[in-house]
Amino acid sequence: MRRIAGRRDLEKLRIQLLKQTPSSRPCITISSGTCGRARGSEKVGQAFREALRKHGLDGKVTIRVSGCHGFCQAEPHVLVHPEGIFYQRLRPEDAEEIVVQTLLHGRIIDRLLYVDPATGKKSVYEGEIPFYKRQQRNLLASNALLDPTSIDDYIAIGGYTALAKALTTMRPEEVIEEIKRSGLRGRGGAGFPTGIKWELCRRSPGDQKYVICNADEGDPGAYMDRSLLEGNPHSVIEGMIIGAYAIGASYGFIYVRAEYPLAVKHVGIALEQAREYGLLGEDILASGFDFDLKVVRGAGAFVCGEETALMASIEGRKGEPRQRPPFPVQKGLWGKPTNINNVETWANVPLIINRGAEWYASIGTERSKGTKIFSLVGKINNTGLVEVPMGITLKEIIYDIGGGIPKGKKFKAVQTGGPSGGCIPAELLDLPVDYEKLAEAGSMMGSGGMVVMDEDTCMVDVARYFLDFLRDESCGKCLSCREGTQRMFEILTAITEGRGKEGDLELLEELALVVKETSMCGLGQTAPNPVLSTLRHFRDEYEAHIKYKRCPAAVCKELISSPCQHICPIGTEVPVYVALIAQGRFAEALEVIRKDNPLPSVCGRVCHHPCEAKCRAGEGGEPIAIRALKRFATDYGLREGLEPQPSRGPGREEKVAVIGSGPAGLSCAAELAKLGYPVTVFEALPVAGGMLAVGIPEYRLPKRILQADIRAIESLGVEIKTNTALGREITLDGLFAQGYKAIFIAIGAHKSLKLGLPGEEAEGVLPAMDFLTAVNLGKKVQLGPRVGIIGGGNAAVDAARVARRLLRDGEVTIIYRRTRAEMPAYPEEVEAALEEGIAIEFLAAPVEILSSNGKLEGVKLVRMELGEVDETGRRRPIPIPGSEFTLELDTLIAAIGEEPEIPFQDGQVRVSKWKTIEVDPETFATGRPGVFAGGDVVSGPGTVIEAIAAGKVAAQSIDSYLRGLPLTREYRLTRPSVYIPPVELSEEEVIQARRPAMPLLRPEERASNFKEVELGLTEEQAIKEARRCLRCDLETKEGKAAISGRAVEAGRA
Amino acid sequence: MNGMITLRINGLDVQVEEGTTLLEAARFLGFKIPTLCYHEGLSPYGACRLCIVEIGEGKRARLVSSCTYPAEEGLVVRTHSERVIRARKMLVELMLSIAPNSKTIQDLASELGVQQVRFEVRNEECILCGLCVRMCAEQMDARAIGFVGRGQERRITTPFDMKSEACRTCGGCIYICPVCQLRCQGPEAPSAVCGSCLQLEPTCLEAYDDLMCYMGPAGVCGTCIRPVPDELRERERTKVKV
Repeated sequence: MRRIAGRRDLEKLRIQLLKQTPSSRPCITISSGTCGRARGSEKVGQAFREALRKHGLDGKVTIRVSGCHGFCQAEPHVLVHPEGIFYQRLRPEDAEEIVVQTLLHGRIIDRLLYVDPATGKKSVYEGEIPFYKRQQRNLLASNALLDPTSIDDYIAIGGYTALAKALTTMRPEEVIEEIKRSGLRGRGGAGFPTGIKWELCRRSPGDQKYVICNADEGDPGAYMDRSLLEGNPHSVIEGMIIGAYAIGASYGFIYVRAEYPLAVKHVGIALEQAREYGLLGEDILASGFDFDLKVVRGAGAFVCGEETALMASIEGRKGEPRQRPPFPVQKGLWGKPTNINNVETWANVPLIINRGAEWYASIGTERSKGTKIFSLVGKINNTGLVEVPMGITLKEIIYDIGGGIPKGKKFKAVQTGGPSGGCIPAELLDLPVDYEKLAEAGSMMGSGGMVVMDEDTCMVDVARYFLDFLRDESCGKCLSCREGTQRMFEILTAITEGRGKEGDLELLEELALVVKETSMCGLGQTAPNPVLSTLRHFRDEYEAHIKYKRCPAAVCKELISSPCQHICPIGTEVPVYVALIAQGRFAEALEVIRKDNPLPSVCGRVCHHPCEAKCRAGEGGEPIAIRALKRFATDYGLREGLEPQPSRGPGREEKVAVIGSGPAGLSCAAELAKLGYPVTVFEALPVAGGMLAVGIPEYRLPKRILQADIRAIESLGVEIKTNTALGREITLDGLFAQGYKAIFIAIGAHKSLKLGLPGEEAEGVLPAMDFLTAVNLGKKVQLGPRVGIIGGGNAAVDAARVARRLLRDGEVTIIYRRTRAEMPAYPEEVEAALEEGIAIEFLAAPVEILSSNGKLEGVKLVRMELGEVDETGRRRPIPIPGSEFTLELDTLIAAIGEEPEIPFQDGQVRVSKWKTIEVDPETFATGRPGVFAGGDVVSGPGTVIEAIAAGKVAAQSIDSYLRGLPLTREYRLTRPSVYIPPVELSEEEVIQARRPAMPLLRPEERASNFKEVELGLTEEQAIKEARRCLRCDLETKEGKAAISGRAVEAGRA
Repeated sequence: MNGMITLRINGLDVQVEEGTTLLEAARFLGFKIPTLCYHEGLSPYGACRLCIVEIGEGKRARLVSSCTYPAEEGLVVRTHSERVIRARKMLVELMLSIAPNSKTIQDLASELGVQQVRFEVRNEECILCGLCVRMCAEQMDARAIGFVGRGQERRITTPFDMKSEACRTCGGCIYICPVCQLRCQGPEAPSAVCGSCLQLEPTCLEAYDDLMCYMGPAGVCGTCIRPVPDELRERERTKVKV
């Protein structure tokens, strides 16, 4: 084999190689790193070879098996050259189609193109894909240009020219100077300036010096070094030879984890080839410089990524750090000066030598230069390796490149720097990513792992997870690290299991600080970071676990039992009633529902079911149709005449007044009645039910259903007085004077917000609540044939669908300033509205109401576009200047929100600037003794189930108040009252199990009447769906004990 | 090569030979720094972290183990700053929580005023200071024992947990052990911290059962056996654990 004898010889070889394979020659590049192979890229490659043979293209088309291109989400994928067409998620069957259609006929295959999930736009070329567009792939781009097992490929794209340049035209000091001026800093995490490290090592006295490449990439979720070693090993080797020349080292090691077999293989091949070409060994490029390299495989200890431990491991000792100083550049391997850099740092070196320090220093921020590769993983749409210039914001990485959070969930935090890094919260999304800024935010660059977390991630659990990793991986030498990580882990475990106690957080902080300060090496010094950063940014989550026994993300098993029950504001025992339905025990299921919920039939129809959003079955598939199952049970009760058994506690004398008969008021009244209090509910309107009666249209919640629930509450002894309003017929003082001992104010939020636009007073402009109330009360409402509704919430959709039903031939248009994805209304409601022929004008906002002679004529709208992501994780709508247009209307309904109307003034009952009543959030007590308030009048417009919860809690507070007890709340772990044995499913049933579609009236049957649209599940559907429940309530220690027979189903044994 | 270095410890300037550690320099000046895994006759290891001192000034001040840190020209060292004391107390609390039976550790706790243990107590016989390993290797030239495992799995044993041919049962390891050698013999103290130190059986029997002590079959050498008065043993048995 030929040895390359100098710079000119290398250039000659390069030109010769380019001639052999001109860039115009067709080539199929298959991304085939470890991840690609795991997704089947080798089979796809084989299929291509066969297809080419079959169609006589053998030898005319190159197949290049390259390393990873970084876009994990699209694996396995290929680039078809010379055009560079990008086909993704290929199966072996697709190969022949690509050969025939694209290679032979020059046609692009639409179905294999990448579709951006955010915009639905297709991309033909790699560069068009948003994931790639915002990146600057100085290092990673080469992966797609070469076969890592071919040194010729590397030389053809200019490989080893930097080495030739350095060896033949630069003195070692000049090389060091160039690296220093480039501003390159160590990519392993600590960010020490590379040039200075080299200089220190060069100046360190010693006849023998070493260079080491740290490829012990151990952070969970970080794999950029693997990708470089697998996909472009020569770039790392070239960097190391240049470094060795600059430092004066004659031998080097690549310390790579044995768990990276492909990287080990490719590096091994590359070293062999480099030696054959005279690029390694004696007299490199005939320059007189000698240097050789050896691969050492690490045994998988995380701590061996620490440089002193790594060197101990290379020397054959236990991988255990020692104190620095002396630093490796002074006393390293076998006591000799040693320079350690990580894979990515070495790979940057040839670029800097070739293109110059100025070019490199022009990228990035003042103190962090160049690009950095991040592995973007976790709850993110585009998983993959991302190479970006330093200083890019987290927001750009997560939203523009990463495509945001899957399933429209809310971004919570991003963990950077691996297990010993920290979590950065949503408030800091604008943070520019560089060494200093990340450290200021309590995290670090680390090797570049970025784990994205959404609302379903519990930050305490995250801290516990990382501490579990670290206590395992601590070498155990330092007491502080070994015991400190163990004790932090124990405290975190106790908190996540509901055993947290006061003082735990202070102890955690105290311990974390000591571990950080007193540990010997980087592992121990950074191990507390996950604890400290989550405590700093998410202390409220810790407190929720300890004080309220709540896990806001519904993750910590021993706290939450099942997420559905935990997340339900009233703690409905969902797994119990679902399990009972699965066994056909419907009446018992109904009893379980009624036990906690005074308005079960209502909730079976209109609850916003937060339980389904957190359902475990929804993580990999579709959540259980919990609301539909509840409705099934309550409908069963109505059909079978199963009246609730009124259970009243021992009679008490103190009279309680409840003002408002919405869900909060009714629930409070029912709860108090059960405790034995005489309760009177005062309602301003002629009907009881509040928003349930007048806000929600008949077709969603039939009046007879609401009546059934109200009747049940009345049967408890609750008296409801309609047409009696606070501030009109009754007053707070008056009620106390009449002998009421406590008052609960739950008058809701019924006043629609004004649009705040010129011309709003025109005739034909209606507030949504006035409109819905009038229709629900059977009053006649004048609607023009052309109706517009402004807003995107449920009130807007309700108003639109009611208007649709009133106007057989009219046009109904909803005007919303964002897109459908951001609409706060329930998706099924939006879908139903569209089915009923309602138009939705997305990305439009009103600027002026047009009228003549005081009569509405239309509305002037401006077109919006989505701009930057705001703190809610949604893109902010921005008006497009000059895009105004007019929509002619006869009626305009304003549905942009509601607020309470407080019809009284009381020195002690304080009202906030949002016109809500201020209460103690734990007890719902107002400033006036004996007066409590809850529901929408306190929270602003909320959901039915939250109002019910407020009513129930207030009832407990009122009970305590009337008994003269302190108004405190007791918080307990979420648990079902009984463990129902699970049902057994056949394998076939598991495969076929699907969430049933709710049977609906067809649009033509419903669009002009107020018949209930949802028809409810059949018995067969309900049982089948209930059987699909994963029964995660049985995963707690108690649950497991219960089904393993150590405990029996209470009362049913 | 061996020039003199001037550094400042607790405000006092001191000249030491190059290669001197901070611990040696501080002790030379008479400052008492507690140590556990340090022994003059053995190479420094830096495992127990008790000998930490604060070096540097302002924002860049940090804690290092003085037994392993070489004296540097102009270095400013504080051996008993508030930060150092706070950290030492936590370290002793951690040690106590693992090995409350050790007199050495109990004494350290008293000296530093550690009055509570906020972690779940484990009764372990070893705090992995590594003195025995270094003793065996450096003074006895035997290398019969060493560390195995990481994190909580870390322990000291012979290769493959088998009787070592290299072991000459010299007893050096037991002689130097700060935890199992010295056991509190005093009366039961009133505080919760110092209550459980009256278990005075041969420790190797508990730790190694019928397997191996470093010295051979458990209990054979007799080195670690201490007489236990019967009434004390009885009281120990009936006592409720803290």
